[in-house]
Amino acid sequence: MSAPSPTGDKTAEALAGTTGAGQAARLTGRRRLSPAVVLLIVAGALVAVSAVRALTGAQDVTSPGQIAGALTMAVPIGLAGLGGLWAERAGVVNIGLEGMMILGTFFGAWAGWQTSPWLGVLAGMAGGALGGLVHAFVTVTIGVDHIVSGVAINILALGATQYLAKLVFADKPAGSPKQSPPIDDIGSVSLPWVSDWLDKVAAHHWFLVSDVAGILGGLTTDVSLLTLLAVALLIGTFFALWKTAFGLRLRSCGENPTAAESLGVNVYRYKYLAVIASGALAGLGGVFIAMVPSHIYNEGQTGGRGYIGLAAMIFGNWRPGGLAMGAGLFGYTDSLQLRNGGPSVHALLLLVAVLLLVIALWRAYRRRWTAAVVSAVAGAGLLVWYATTDTVPIEFVGATPYVATLLVLSLASQRLRMPKADGLVYRRGQGK
Amino acid sequence: MRRVTKLAAVVLSGSLGIATLAACGSTSDSSSTTTSPSGSAGAGAAGGGVKVGMAYDIGGRGDQSFNDSAARGLDQAKQQLGVATKELSAGANETPADKTQRLKDLAEAGYSPIIAIGFSYADAVKTVAKEHPNTKFAIVDSVVDAPNVTSLVFTEEQSSYLAGVAAAAKSKTHKIGFIGGVNVPLINKFEAGFTAGVKATDPSATVTPQYLSQPPDFKGFTSPDLGKAAAQGMLDKGVDVVYAAAGSSGNGAIEAVAAKKAWAIGVDSDQYKQDALAKSRDAILTSAIKNVDVAVFDFIKSVKDGSAKTGTVTFDLKSGGVGYSKTNTAALDAATVAKIEKAKQDIIDGKVTPPTTVKQ
Repeated sequence: MSAPSPTGDKTAEALAGTTGAGQAARLTGRRRLSPAVVLLIVAGALVAVSAVRALTGAQDVTSPGQIAGALTMAVPIGLAGLGGLWAERAGVVNIGLEGMMILGTFFGAWAGWQTSPWLGVLAGMAGGALGGLVHAFVTVTIGVDHIVSGVAINILALGATQYLAKLVFADKPAGSPKQSPPIDDIGSVSLPWVSDWLDKVAAHHWFLVSDVAGILGGLTTDVSLLTLLAVALLIGTFFALWKTAFGLRLRSCGENPTAAESLGVNVYRYKYLAVIASGALAGLGGVFIAMVPSHIYNEGQTGGRGYIGLAAMIFGNWRPGGLAMGAGLFGYTDSLQLRNGGPSVHALLLLVAVLLLVIALWRAYRRRWTAAVVSAVAGAGLLVWYATTDTVPIEFVGATPYVATLLVLSLASQRLRMPKADGLVYRRGQGK
Repeated sequence: MRRVTKLAAVVLSGSLGIATLAACGSTSDSSSTTTSPSGSAGAGAAGGGVKVGMAYDIGGRGDQSFNDSAARGLDQAKQQLGVATKELSAGANETPADKTQRLKDLAEAGYSPIIAIGFSYADAVKTVAKEHPNTKFAIVDSVVDAPNVTSLVFTEEQSSYLAGVAAAAKSKTHKIGFIGGVNVPLINKFEAGFTAGVKATDPSATVTPQYLSQPPDFKGFTSPDLGKAAAQGMLDKGVDVVYAAAGSSGNGAIEAVAAKKAWAIGVDSDQYKQDALAKSRDAILTSAIKNVDVAVFDFIKSVKDGSAKTGTVTFDLKSGGVGYSKTNTAALDAATVAKIEKAKQDIIDGKVTPPTTVKQ
């Protein structure tokens, strides 16, 4: 894979005008963030969060438990998003991720309960891949609108699993028409003695030190093996799609399939591969839900996370790193909400208020007066809200992930760039 | 070639459409009509020709919780009284109109009585009962004022109060958690009674409430993963007894609690006896029991006998409609049981009245 093949080179030339990140950046007049800048931003965010925690006493903001909970909530969203990434990079919109996740929960539990959890993982991925195959056939071979097919798959998967669950789980011990019998635990790992030590440091609530320890502790204590698999897949996806000729060809199908085909890329085959992989990844997300946070298949347990995964991918600008951040944000706020998040979200209000005021100053310095005034007013409003209350209403805590997404998307939307031929139906030979 | 493709497209999308319809049908209408053998043998003799229509809440038969309890009552009536039954289930994300339509379908098909399981049917029962004055209706967990409706309600605050007494008696950290499925008045009633029971037994104890979802989002009743995350959050803060009134989400909470060797309190039926929780059962201190099956069975029986009560029928500690379980004898020591029994007697005697709403 490492040796650039002739086709890869030619595709690269053909695509240079459309995909080059540098070129796109030059066109919009924005610079790409260098690793050093990213690290600086992360460090700054840590200090800010740490300060807020120390000021408000909302210790749960960076506690190991909160971070571990966030990770568990983020993985299924991230896997669904990763599935979306594969499909959309090849030019197929996959709104059927939710349905493929449902297939994953069902088949994963079905095989996992009878045999071993790892066979369940394979079965769940196969179930999701089956959903992907249907989606690929309908959208690529037949040329049906991607959204229509995706919605159909969501409905079909729900109905089919409900029907099958009644057949296979209803009369089993501890099973019911809506639930599978319990599946064995898939196992988890901790970093020996390091995670204990980190937990202890985190419990001291020292400024910054405990926050770092809390985050690292949460990420290294009782990590499910499936989580590790998901991280490996995320990194693997980056290398497969961005560092190999295979990935370049696959992405070329999403940017300019006509050009790709003229250079000898079998567009249909790549789209098929991508959508099937997409289904398998979403299926793995479903397996994760059925096996890690709970140990059963339970009707309706995906709870729309396929759609959230899609949102996380768009949030992440169709890139693996970005989508991991998006999934992390959703997971973090989900976990906050479930861990008596009133005080924590209240503390974060202060953070957002200060951030908005800083943005206001920056905008004013840049003489962008409207933006400055809007940010200042919003920041001041939040500050008043923070000062006059002790906690936020639980209704608002539940809405936090969505408010956070809206905020971030509205700030970042100008920078988003989807694959150029994403969602368009491509017929073989249409460029002739 | 192109024509073939087009044909394939038509056939496939057609079959997709049909499959979709079938799928929709199965979500909102998981029905099974059963007439017991005796009922069909002697026309109208056995069972008195009673045809019971049952409309479950979201989760339906098989939720191993509230709806299953109702289903047990129905099964018992089918066996012992020989009544004919038809069961319909609510689907996820349905509208109030779907509920009304479900009851209408049952009424128009000649089912009487029609039993609606769950407070979310209140408006639907009100509407349909008015349109069908000769049909008998019952609703569980809500009060509907109409001449042909029987409201079957439970004093969950009483059983939750007893759970609170047990929790306070067992807690070493004096930190106790309450997990509610969805933030609705019915579940608030559980919280209010539970908190009162804790405070009455141990004034220094604190109760941390946590709801898993906000209405109209009812996923909090069917998401074990959310229950688990919430319970873990509580355990991290030093909580050592968790009471989960959250349908099947409670199973996740119980799993998390069992892993940390803390105490969990089950809800609705005796969760110590549930196969699905066999691995965690030692951590289940007790369960606050709500005998929906008894209510359903009694109601069907009264209809069959022609002595159906109308108005509101309350199932409380006194009548045995609610209670607590003592199956985990290793966990419930004699002193704790004595405390609970005393509280029970106080409630029955009217000395203590647990609150039904949470003080804000």
